[in-house]
Amino acid sequence: MIDHVSLHFRSERGEVHALSDISLRVAEGEFVALLGPTGCGKSSLLRLISDLIPPTSGSITVRGGPASVARRVNQFGFVFQEPALLSWRTAIGNVRLPLEVVGYRPEQRTARCEELLDSVGLLKFKDSYPHELSGGMKQRVAIVRALTWNPSILLMDEPFSALDELTRAQLQDDLLKLWSRERKTVLFVTHNISEAIYLADRVVVMSPHPGRIKTILSPGLSRPRSEEMHESAEFMNWTRTARAALKS
Amino acid sequence: MSEGDASTTSGWLRDEILPPLLILAVALTLWEVAVKSFDIPPWLLPAPTDIVDRFFKTTTLWYHTGFTVLEALAGFLISAILGVSLSAGIVHSRFLERGVFPYVIVSNAIPIIAIIPLLTIWFGFGIAPKIMICAIISFFPIVTNTTRGLKSADRRIIEFMRSINATRSEILFKVQLPSALPFIFASFKIAASLALVGAVVGEFYSSDLGLGYLIITSATQLRTDLLFVAIAVLAALGVGSFTLFGYLERKVTRGERIEEMQ
Repeated sequence: MIDHVSLHFRSERGEVHALSDISLRVAEGEFVALLGPTGCGKSSLLRLISDLIPPTSGSITVRGGPASVARRVNQFGFVFQEPALLSWRTAIGNVRLPLEVVGYRPEQRTARCEELLDSVGLLKFKDSYPHELSGGMKQRVAIVRALTWNPSILLMDEPFSALDELTRAQLQDDLLKLWSRERKTVLFVTHNISEAIYLADRVVVMSPHPGRIKTILSPGLSRPRSEEMHESAEFMNWTRTARAALKS
Repeated sequence: MSEGDASTTSGWLRDEILPPLLILAVALTLWEVAVKSFDIPPWLLPAPTDIVDRFFKTTTLWYHTGFTVLEALAGFLISAILGVSLSAGIVHSRFLERGVFPYVIVSNAIPIIAIIPLLTIWFGFGIAPKIMICAIISFFPIVTNTTRGLKSADRRIIEFMRSINATRSEILFKVQLPSALPFIFASFKIAASLALVGAVVGEFYSSDLGLGYLIITSATQLRTDLLFVAIAVLAALGVGSFTLFGYLERKVTRGERIEEMQ
């Protein structure tokens, strides 16, 4: 579906190559992690794919058409490191926001929002304001906000990196549950090795200055995943491989 | 809730309202006693009771007050509408920001007193030049604060909105304007007081109506009690508008405040 992402990207400060000749194909419904240290252009890559910034050269194809078309027909659901909720809207109000923009049938909006909030266990908090929710709850709201109008691609920019260890593990499992139900294509940016291995079908290992793809790993652990997998020899092996790839 | 809790109505009355009222009562009593015992002439300093007396005897007071409030309100509203619209334009267009902002700052640098004669030449002695003075004087705080408020909107939410192909006006009305509301009300608080000042100063220069006119005429006739009445009414209007917008400002910031505290 994303066909041959090949691009150079210059920042304002002259000739900084944020990304250098990246090519990547992602299949429909695939869960791909972009793993790399800060400054390797992972976030820029998400913004390029979703047509928020234009590439300097190269082209991006999403489901057979240019990224700008995909953006216009609302194919992308974006989740950021911070929840970035509107403080004056309730949880359900925040989830409803994109439906007001993409032109979802008004009479079905509430039902859809409640269904999604329920799937992450937040239905009874639907009328709470963001300041009344914990960090993990807010991030759950942000995730379902990016799913309400049924986009085909979920772009996640280090969504769990601001959370504590336990909440993070919980949200990883919540995300996998949501993913297995809604079957979106997921591009998941992270700098956390075990998170990438645990969640993704394929792990794209990137290196900085300029950002480029080092190698692509396909851990393909059996699904559904479970907490105990973190201790399995297979998991450890993949972690080691990924760490070696990052360092090389 | 404990008895000393300021959030209960009776507690709030006791903690917030009672102290200033007590101070006021003491000050007024001292004033009254001083005027009576030193036999100060009323043209120099009238006693509070004389001022209150004058307040109830001045039948034209509401007429003058209404005129001043009308000028200030009209000027303020014009400024609020134009100011918020201009800010929205500034936030959406680099060209407007660079092209217009210097003149917004210049408009603030020119003393308002200096333009009043010019406005009078152009628009005569009626209500129009006074409304314009009020609009001009309240314009700057509204534009600067609203622009700052619109820019304070979360960058990632705007990115999110753009990623779902939201239009500029959807981003403006659903994200930027609500984010700016606390800033806007804070600026209204300042602008409303300034508009009152503008109205009074405009009436000083050329008018036969309004609280400014009342102040000038009562001063030249040494009717000091009436002068005090006009000042007191102006003070009440200023406090009233300040309280109203302060209340609105607090109401829209409540959520964020609590979030910051956590």
